[in-house]
Amino acid sequence: MADNEVTLTIDDQTITVPKGTKVVDAAKTVGIEIPVFCYHEKLGSLGCCRMCLVEVEKMPKLMTACTMDVGPDMVVKTTTERVEKAQKGVLEFTLLNHPLDCPVCDKGGECPLQNNTFKYGPGDTRMDFQRANNLKAAPLSPVITLDRERCIACQRCTRYSEVIEQDRALVMLNRGFHNEVGTFNNEPYDTRFSGNVIDICPVGALTNTQFRFKARTWDLTNSDTLCAHCGCNCNMTLGVRTNKFMRIESRPNDYVDDGWICDKARWGYDFLESKNRIMEARTTLDGASKTLPVKDAAAQAANALKKIADEHGPGSIGFIGSPYGTNEELYLYQKLFRQQLGTNNIDHKVYAETPGLPIPHYDVSEIETSDLVLVIASDPTEELPILDLRIKKVVTRGNAKLAVLNDQSTLMDRYAHLSLRYDIGAAAQVFAALANTLAGEKGEVQDTGITGEQLNSLMDMLKSSKKTTIIYNPAALTGQSVDVLKHLLSEIGKISSMECGAIPAAPYTNAVGALDMGVLPNYYPGGVPLADAEAVKQQSGENSPLEAGLSAMEMIEKANSGELKALLVHRANPVVDFPGSKKIADALKKLDLLIVHDMLETETSQLAGIVLPSNGPGHDDGTTTNIGGRVQFRKGGLKTTNAPDWKIISMMAKTLGDETDYITSFSVTDEIAKMVPGYGDISKKSIKKMGLARTAAQYQNGTKPDSAKSQPAKSDGLKLRIASYLFAHDKILDADSRLAHQFKPSTVHLHEDDAKKLGLKNGDDVIVVSGDTQVRAEVEISGKCNPGGVVLPRISDEQGVLGLAGADGISSVEIRKA
Amino acid sequence: MTQILFKDINKKDLHTLAVYEETGGYKSLKKAFAKEPDEIIEMVKASGLRGRGGAGFPCGLKWSFLAKDVFPRYLCCNADESEPGTCKDRELLLKNPHLLIEGMILCSYACRIETGYIYLRGEFYDLCEIMEKALEEAYAKGYLGKNILGSGFDLDIHTHLGAGAYICGEESALLNSLEGMRGEPRMKPPFPAVQGLYAKPTVINNVETLCVVPYIVNEGAEKYAAIGTEKSKGTKLVSVSGHVKKPANYEVVLGTPVREIIYDMAGGMRDDNQLKAFIPGGSSVPMLRADQVDTPYDYESLQAAGSMLGSGALIVLDHTVNVVETSLRLVSFYMHESCGKCTPCREGTRWMWQILHQIQTGKGEAAHVEELLDICDNMSFKCFCPLGDAAVAPVASSIQNFRADYEELLQRMTANTV
Repeated sequence: MADNEVTLTIDDQTITVPKGTKVVDAAKTVGIEIPVFCYHEKLGSLGCCRMCLVEVEKMPKLMTACTMDVGPDMVVKTTTERVEKAQKGVLEFTLLNHPLDCPVCDKGGECPLQNNTFKYGPGDTRMDFQRANNLKAAPLSPVITLDRERCIACQRCTRYSEVIEQDRALVMLNRGFHNEVGTFNNEPYDTRFSGNVIDICPVGALTNTQFRFKARTWDLTNSDTLCAHCGCNCNMTLGVRTNKFMRIESRPNDYVDDGWICDKARWGYDFLESKNRIMEARTTLDGASKTLPVKDAAAQAANALKKIADEHGPGSIGFIGSPYGTNEELYLYQKLFRQQLGTNNIDHKVYAETPGLPIPHYDVSEIETSDLVLVIASDPTEELPILDLRIKKVVTRGNAKLAVLNDQSTLMDRYAHLSLRYDIGAAAQVFAALANTLAGEKGEVQDTGITGEQLNSLMDMLKSSKKTTIIYNPAALTGQSVDVLKHLLSEIGKISSMECGAIPAAPYTNAVGALDMGVLPNYYPGGVPLADAEAVKQQSGENSPLEAGLSAMEMIEKANSGELKALLVHRANPVVDFPGSKKIADALKKLDLLIVHDMLETETSQLAGIVLPSNGPGHDDGTTTNIGGRVQFRKGGLKTTNAPDWKIISMMAKTLGDETDYITSFSVTDEIAKMVPGYGDISKKSIKKMGLARTAAQYQNGTKPDSAKSQPAKSDGLKLRIASYLFAHDKILDADSRLAHQFKPSTVHLHEDDAKKLGLKNGDDVIVVSGDTQVRAEVEISGKCNPGGVVLPRISDEQGVLGLAGADGISSVEIRKA
Repeated sequence: MTQILFKDINKKDLHTLAVYEETGGYKSLKKAFAKEPDEIIEMVKASGLRGRGGAGFPCGLKWSFLAKDVFPRYLCCNADESEPGTCKDRELLLKNPHLLIEGMILCSYACRIETGYIYLRGEFYDLCEIMEKALEEAYAKGYLGKNILGSGFDLDIHTHLGAGAYICGEESALLNSLEGMRGEPRMKPPFPAVQGLYAKPTVINNVETLCVVPYIVNEGAEKYAAIGTEKSKGTKLVSVSGHVKKPANYEVVLGTPVREIIYDMAGGMRDDNQLKAFIPGGSSVPMLRADQVDTPYDYESLQAAGSMLGSGALIVLDHTVNVVETSLRLVSFYMHESCGKCTPCREGTRWMWQILHQIQTGKGEAAHVEELLDICDNMSFKCFCPLGDAAVAPVASSIQNFRADYEELLQRMTANTV
């Protein structure tokens, strides 16, 4: 037995568990159930419900198993007469004023109070007074309804708000018999993570307004699936009844989500039944728009692409995929375009990330064992909310320190031990300076907004760390700063006293998978570079195209110049999501053929000659790779008569002579395992429970970036930083969304100095201008960025902020009074 | 009659520093500073002084439990005197605030504490002003602040008013309240001596306990230990209330028979009525019968008699009382004061109140008495903090000792129905 272990006896079973384990958890390890209400392993002990009383030898009183640490040679009894009497007594108290409206309660069938009463409770009640009456439907927010009568005051929800969310938004009010869950001044409880209180409520008090009185829980068909909204890929359960979407619940996976999901995961799925869905294939190739069977449309699309490729060369067609597609969809599309159509004009993004890292690719759970978390250019709270909870957990309840290096202030700063803010546009220079300092050379930080001293303190933090997790958002790094960052990572990796790894935290569902699947103009699957012709041929066959392809933005440019004739866009909306918006639409209109394969009607699908319906998450099966490199299975739940995306892509390939038969999405997964380096161990079985980390691609670009190039470009106007918000009023969360209360007004954050120069004050209505794009916004004078820059959060599709950005994401804007 | 705390209690203007110093006030400081802090702790240990707040835990031992070498440490004086029947701290704070300050300085020196708080119940607003004035005087005279009397020892004392919750007298709820949080008891362990206020080692003592310390330092532990019984040393302030001729606070040598307190000190029963019952240690302890009136008033004897010394509030009831009403009144208090954190206390106090109220208003049923006893059993030692046990005490003891009172009310009901 190790020093940090304890051996004890519970109900005559001898158990050895780690020191500090609670008796209730120790019992669980040998299958002994001690009933609880208030205890939750993620929240820790409170001991208020008194349900877990057990007898411990040498202790005169009964003890609460949830608050008690195991002790050496402790003898615990959980089924004695005394314990049973106490359990009956506590349950009698708990039920005293509980309304027993189980027949209409949402929790019925999955209710710990029902279950504990059934197993441990008295069969009867002696209470002959009128039960307490209270509000049956108090709205805590637009999405949560509280039934005050059902509440047993276990405080799980309020402690969740305190311990996990850490903002004490939900608190206990009043005292004694009158205590109740509520908020200060009755304000709505509308945090990003509020929905988790519904899952942890052990009774039907906190209810999902969307699901309230919709179905009995045992009538639901539950699919173990993943959230498809951001790169966290949190595990969740999709509840369906008679093929209608009912609700979403969290499904704990400590490698990914630590047991929680954000409110976008829980209430961001109305798009499954949106009126805006593309349900049929249609074509305008023969003149007027007409619908046609999906199979015919797929064949028509494939033939049309092939015809153009034959006529104008394979360089005249291209594919823009999406970091929201599954690995199977992405893999098949790149295979179609490379093997059947012979082009490398394949891409999925407008930022400069490349496959591979110079240091290990860390799983999200590695954060828990790190003593330093370094967040670079990432805003987890707004971009990848569940990551925010994990970082807060290790920083406030663990021993980790947090360092932030960003061009905008974020909510993370509140928890940071060191928070450095560089000027917008100075990222590359700052990264280069830090890398140089680490390499023992001089780090130039002039005109970056941070000082050499600050840089040194960051370096000291890195050097005194034993294990560092670096989280960076490649999508927020404009120009070539990603390359410089990777050089910095390799320098950090050289600190011998420390292990470290990075999490490339692009805020898209499958950004890592899209890189791995080779949906890139210059890399084959698994990060195999075009330059390595031998490797390419070995992997993908002799006929694999080796000519460098066009990036997404280059394809747009070539469409504009007429060199690109045909484009297939899968689950992407370049018109709104690519820098330059309006110009993008103009370029797309010049194409001979635009094929859009998407789930919802978009500005881009409106321009398409052929539209193919995409089922997307909730319907289609597939795998995705999260920011931590963990490959997981995203199961569908709702049935549809339309073919899944992978099948439609396969139909196109077959039209052009491919002979592979895929039976299920896993047939494609198996091919990925065979073909994509790093994915060899991925299979239906291996990823079933907790998913499986794939092996990261080899890092290729080892060269040290030119520090002269890292200098920020001098320019007039204010440098623009577009901040990404997950809870944005976009195509997915349309105006009727349940999360409309999370939408924020269009706001431009200005530094005090710049505001003074421009004569602007808080609340002024302004127009942010770049070229011929104008975005209306309200001024907020804040310390969100350094002087000389502005931060403009992307809060809706209609706002059109991407129109302000230059092709490389960098741009200067002017601000005028509206 | 040995008087330690009340020696000069009625001296005019004792609350002022000048008069307090005339009576020998603050003399202990020099003696203490001449010793090592640990020696003071040893003295207090040797004196046998036990906590006067209710639990009676040996004071010196408590001080010695502070987590080693963890600083800063805090002292919290519990002046949240809210136990029904208890008003002894009030008299000390009102008439002799400097005695408490002196006691706190000695404790802080002994425990190497540099910040002390006096947590006063919200209703003690006037006493808070008196305390503030006394602190001001003490600071001005150099008894508080930096380098006290040239000893190199620093101490600041702050007052803090509660918001009117009985539960905040429970030490860990007091800490929560002091930190600005909801007044709910905390989980133990960690005990306050290890992680108390702001998660730092903390001493929490009752006003009376701290007020005894100057005497021990001045006169020596042996002298204090010579007073009282073998295990209950010293004197105790007893708040005598109820049906006596002279209800007041009395300083009683521990071990004095209850009879002497009621009949000699408090002047006997009102209208020379018959003694029926007495609650010896505040509302949270079981009531005793008249035939137990010869029990010596000390920790051990009262425990042997089936009750506790508690906060030292002797509530005396004469033969005109039906104890059902007493229980109802007390349970009503606990129902109102339950913080609601744990299930048995939150629900049980209200249920007991409902039943007692029904019996009291003549609508009770015979089965109710057994039901009450069973509720008491389901609550006692199963609640989060002692408040639940306190609520059980009057009900269980009144049924045990005076079941006839319950039956009388139940019969009256039956007679009415027929």
